[in-house]
Amino acid sequence: MNDKKSILELKNFNLYIQDKQILKEINLPFYKNKVTAIMGPSGCGKTTLIRSINRLNEGIPDIKMTGEMRLYNKDLLEMNAILVRRKIGMVFQRPNPFPTMSIADNVLAGFILNGVRLTKQEKEEIVTGSLEKTGLWDEVKDNLHRKGTFLSGGQQQRLCIARALAMKPKILLLDEPTSALDPKATERIEELVNELKSNVTIIMVTHNMGQAERISDYTVFLYLGELVEYEETATIFDSPKHSRTKDYLTRKFG
Amino acid sequence: MNDYKSIALAESRAYVFKIILRLSGYLAIAILCGVFITLASKAALSLQETGLSFFYTSTWDPVRDSFGAFPFFIGTMVTSVLALTISLPFSFALAIFLGEYLKQGRLSNIVSTTLDLLAGIPSVIYGFWGLFVLVPLIRDFQNMLGIVPHGVGIFSSSIVLALMIVPYSASISREVIALVPQDLKEAAQSLGATQFEVVTRVILPYAKSGIFAGILMSFGRAISETMAVTMLIGNANKIPTSLFSPANTLASVLANEFAEASEALYLSSLISLALMLFFITAIFSFVGRWIIRRWMVNG
Amino acid sequence: MKLKNSLKSRLAKDVAFKIVVGVLSAMLILPLLFILFYIVKHGSASFSWGFFTQTPVQVGETGGGVSNAIIGTLMLIGTASVFAIPLGILIGIYLSENRQSKVAEFTRLCVDTLQGVPSIVMGIIAYAWIVMPMGGFSAFSGGVALAIMMLPIVTKSTEETLILVPDSLKEASLALGVPYHSTILKVVLPAGKSGIMSGILLGVARVSGETAPLLFTAFGNPFMATNLFKPVNSLPLLIFNYATSPYEDWQTLAWGASLLLVLFVLSLSILAKVMVKK
Repeated sequence: MNDKKSILELKNFNLYIQDKQILKEINLPFYKNKVTAIMGPSGCGKTTLIRSINRLNEGIPDIKMTGEMRLYNKDLLEMNAILVRRKIGMVFQRPNPFPTMSIADNVLAGFILNGVRLTKQEKEEIVTGSLEKTGLWDEVKDNLHRKGTFLSGGQQQRLCIARALAMKPKILLLDEPTSALDPKATERIEELVNELKSNVTIIMVTHNMGQAERISDYTVFLYLGELVEYEETATIFDSPKHSRTKDYLTRKFG
Repeated sequence: MNDYKSIALAESRAYVFKIILRLSGYLAIAILCGVFITLASKAALSLQETGLSFFYTSTWDPVRDSFGAFPFFIGTMVTSVLALTISLPFSFALAIFLGEYLKQGRLSNIVSTTLDLLAGIPSVIYGFWGLFVLVPLIRDFQNMLGIVPHGVGIFSSSIVLALMIVPYSASISREVIALVPQDLKEAAQSLGATQFEVVTRVILPYAKSGIFAGILMSFGRAISETMAVTMLIGNANKIPTSLFSPANTLASVLANEFAEASEALYLSSLISLALMLFFITAIFSFVGRWIIRRWMVNG
Repeated sequence: MKLKNSLKSRLAKDVAFKIVVGVLSAMLILPLLFILFYIVKHGSASFSWGFFTQTPVQVGETGGGVSNAIIGTLMLIGTASVFAIPLGILIGIYLSENRQSKVAEFTRLCVDTLQGVPSIVMGIIAYAWIVMPMGGFSAFSGGVALAIMMLPIVTKSTEETLILVPDSLKEASLALGVPYHSTILKVVLPAGKSGIMSGILLGVARVSGETAPLLFTAFGNPFMATNLFKPVNSLPLLIFNYATSPYEDWQTLAWGASLLLVLFVLSLSILAKVMVKK
């Protein structure tokens, strides 16, 4: 595995909230332009982990993090949070387009809210490009100036992905992106993840094993804050090394 | 490199913004403390000169430098209690009517909107109306009874005060009744209880502390009401002897006399009254809110 | 047999109760509506062009208007809004952003208490803080008194609105690398815009009818005054002074002013309601 280039690497990462250890000694590389799925029963810390990568946990009182998260050999925990978030995009469990903005402005939100001035042409390029990448262009091109809230849940989620992609992130974090969607919309998102990975590294939390098996290249299994197993997806599903992983995959718990 | 610079700028702006937020929060605390300190420091002179007798002597005679707050305390309490007693059955009936019998529909909307709007009519206008419509009626009534026809006095101001607090107390009671879980009511209904029984056996017992808190808060409202009372109470600085006597409340005596008080002791005595008013209303609203919060947590 | 009888009496009780509740409600709504009707009837009689454009005339002369009180009221509301709206919104943001903090809890308690402070006491406070140091009554001092009364209303409505704005929006913005202040000002506040606006309107409606805090601050003024640091008239003050005067002409003006004030306050409250519904 070491021949591949890791873009982000967690080293001895620990996370505590009020003296309770949520994540224990996580060592984990993420490879460039691959999809890594993080799995585990609820409460295992998978969402906490992915949110830490976006530095979104910092608002929590009494939180403590130790260890390193090396992004291009720089510890992102030491970096400026705003800079980290501009390099690492995130999509959440529930679609959350900005209700006060039009569809086009939602795609441009990262620029608008950060006060970046764009020419009309740049705007058009970004809107068209990002919407095309998410397969949303044909569906919304006539309604670009309507509010994004009239879209279906799946379309809203793809709009949120387009919004993250517009910032040209190196890494895209997906936190159970299909848990609020119906099977059809889920399938569309999964296709999208497959298309996107040639350009961006994707880290995705899911509790849907089928989904992990279908679209990820690597799978991480977390249990009670500990990293139990980390392998190529095909390997982990065929022959898990640890009994815990095997039990989880055969639905003995979780 | 430019990117880093702009991010550093954004960071420092975010930091400043957080500080501004925190300072505004502190400012709210500072304003309240400022109100209290101002009142206390300006009231100090009168409390030094008059001592505790300020609270229990019943002569208020600025010309002879004799200041006793007792008549105003009694005036305030009597008017407010009377107003609350008059308004209570009405506001309660209204809350049940809107909350249980007329939950939706146009009439319900009209009634509750009317109530909201009436709550917004300025107090000075209620006083004006009372002076021109209610006071003549009361005067006729007093003539009939054969007592001095003042017209203005405790009774007149209590009636107008009652009208004024009804929308407020009805809306609190309504909110409290709305918090009674629907399934409790439905459970009672499914056992064959009539609406009357649902109200008396389920809603009232469940909501009683919330309703009590609402009464306290309405009482605080009545105590602090100034203009309508000032216009209708007859402005007499003595302990009222009957329900029809002219009197003064803490608030009305301030409205009447504060602008003309030129001597230091007189002014300070008036501010002592304001301090009393501040404390009484603060205690009522605090206790009311505390009960409601506890009730909501414990169910 | 017995059961049947008791059922009958229970049903009778139920009907009786329903009637009592209905009658009490009607008995209450009617006089309140009568007050409104009375104001409209007497007030509309004095509405004329001069009523809005002229200042009050002396006793004995006919005509005259309340233009000075209209201008004064607007000045007072303007001054109060300048202080209360930005500060109220900031405090509201502070409270909704720091839900667990002890200091915020105490701040909330102070705001609630401030809301309960009797209006006449606010007048005395503004007198002590502004009138005494500046050596005279002024529109400014009245505006400050009203601002302190308006502040809790704006604060509470901002806080209550922002608490309902889903955290996910804030996170979506933060995740795009948007700094905290832009997230709050450009994402969270706009999402709660209508609630905050309606709170502001309610605050303005509330203070524009206040008389007590103005008695020893704005004080009143029979002439047109537009200087912020001189005494001004206001509609509620004019109503109070003229209603308690013995002259019929003045009382007529006061009725007109009452109707005008009621219309103003009621349209603000209706607007506030419509905003929240949207």
